[in-house]
Amino acid sequence: MSPLTITSRDAATGPVLEITGDLDYESAPDLRKSLDSLTLTSGQLLVLDLAGLEFCDSSGITTLLAARNLATELGGGMALAAVPANTARILSIIGLDRVFTIHPDTSTATNPSSTAR
Amino acid sequence: MGATDAVFISLLEDSAEELYEQAPCGYLSTLMDGTIAKINTTLLDWLGLSRAQVVGRMRFADLLTVGGKLYHETHFAPLLQMKGEVSGIALDIKAAGKQRMPVLVTSKVKTSDDGEPLLIRTTVFDARDRRAYETELLRGRQAAEEARRQAEADRERLQEALAVLQQNLLPAELPKVPGLEAASYYHTASPDLLGGDFYDLFPLDADRWAFFLGDVCGKGPQAAAVTSLTRYTLRAAALHDPDPVTVLSTLNTVLHERYTSGDTRYCTAIFGVLNPVDDHVSVHLASGGHPSALIQHADGTADYLPTPGGMLVGVLPGAQFETARTQLFPGDTLLLYTDGLTEARTGPDRELYGEDALRAFTAAQPAAGPQVLITALTGLLTGFGDGLDDDTALLALGVPAPLPTPVSEDLR
Repeated sequence: MSPLTITSRDAATGPVLEITGDLDYESAPDLRKSLDSLTLTSGQLLVLDLAGLEFCDSSGITTLLAARNLATELGGGMALAAVPANTARILSIIGLDRVFTIHPDTSTATNPSSTAR
Repeated sequence: MGATDAVFISLLEDSAEELYEQAPCGYLSTLMDGTIAKINTTLLDWLGLSRAQVVGRMRFADLLTVGGKLYHETHFAPLLQMKGEVSGIALDIKAAGKQRMPVLVTSKVKTSDDGEPLLIRTTVFDARDRRAYETELLRGRQAAEEARRQAEADRERLQEALAVLQQNLLPAELPKVPGLEAASYYHTASPDLLGGDFYDLFPLDADRWAFFLGDVCGKGPQAAAVTSLTRYTLRAAALHDPDPVTVLSTLNTVLHERYTSGDTRYCTAIFGVLNPVDDHVSVHLASGGHPSALIQHADGTADYLPTPGGMLVGVLPGAQFETARTQLFPGDTLLLYTDGLTEARTGPDRELYGEDALRAFTAAQPAAGPQVLITALTGLLTGFGDGLDDDTALLALGVPAPLPTPVSEDLR
């Protein structure tokens, strides 16, 4: 078990949240709180950088969906970057690999030319 | 001369007599028969009596309430006679204004030089505050006892409610389907959290049966509510139109509408229809984000029935579901499971158990029907120990192999 840490920074495209550690039933509310305090303006892209994500259970998936819903409500977009293999496998089983915009890494995700949706 | 010195001087002038009369406790001296010989003002004030009414006229026991008098006669006086002193005995005296006043009494017998008892000296302490404190303690303890009883009763009621709810989430037993054998198993990861896994098997009409198995995201009462909603929606939708994609789409609409505002609630599920035809059973199923079903064949192989791309149910309007068809021949068993099984951690490195291992395990089991396979998988789950930290549901459906022909009838 490794604790969840969430680091926020701003890229040209919009906010980037770096999520490291375990995203599970215990820690998912922390990410939910970070999302609630996020400022995302219309047309911006929220990027969740999952390069340091070590574990993600169904509560974690729920929170990723919540992030997507929130970004959509605010008139922006949402993308995942650097999804670890195990989480990518789960996203594929549950069909969400076709729902989330997924980039190989954050620099690709935050490249202004790639944000066209 | 300082103020402190003045106080000290006035204390010196406080005579022994004054101290006796105005002491912060009651003093009295009685003859050996209890007749009061001497009493101080403090005690007289408490009693609301004058010295003339008491001295030589009343005995110590006369100052006590009926209960106090009884206790004095049966315990206090005999003990005093035996030991020469008693201390800290709680008694009630008849105070002024017909009030009952709790006191603590200490008595000591004064004897002559040759040991002959002369009189009894008694101090009487006001115990009203202390008694009130004790009463409060008692009341507090009674309140705590009552709260504990109430909490236990509440917990029992809650456990009954949980048990009823849990029974609502799973069929008490699987129905008997002609030409089909069915077996199931449910592993609960935590006894006090209602699980989110579900399965069912039920008739659609005279010829066809429906089955489903799935996993609601999360645990506890919220998940259980979704599980219940999911189970009954699937059953009702199947009776209306059993096409697997239509059934999952109906569930998707119901869950999405119910939970679209606020908390996201979703499930993964496989729903299918069984149609026994001649020597086999045809299966038509659809998956919404659920791990693929596994088929154990009569010939000792095992293969997944892939349904890639089927989406989680309840997340997106108009979600897409994948269908698959197969036929089960005698000796074949279709296995549905939740990801507690494949996501279990095994070995010292806590490796993911995974789908390949499940297929290999299943292929290695004798193709002896659903119950035998479920029993083997139950053993596998038990072997995972604490590597299995999620609820896990298993449902196996198979066509029984024909009984082996007895050797004696084999006349070749």
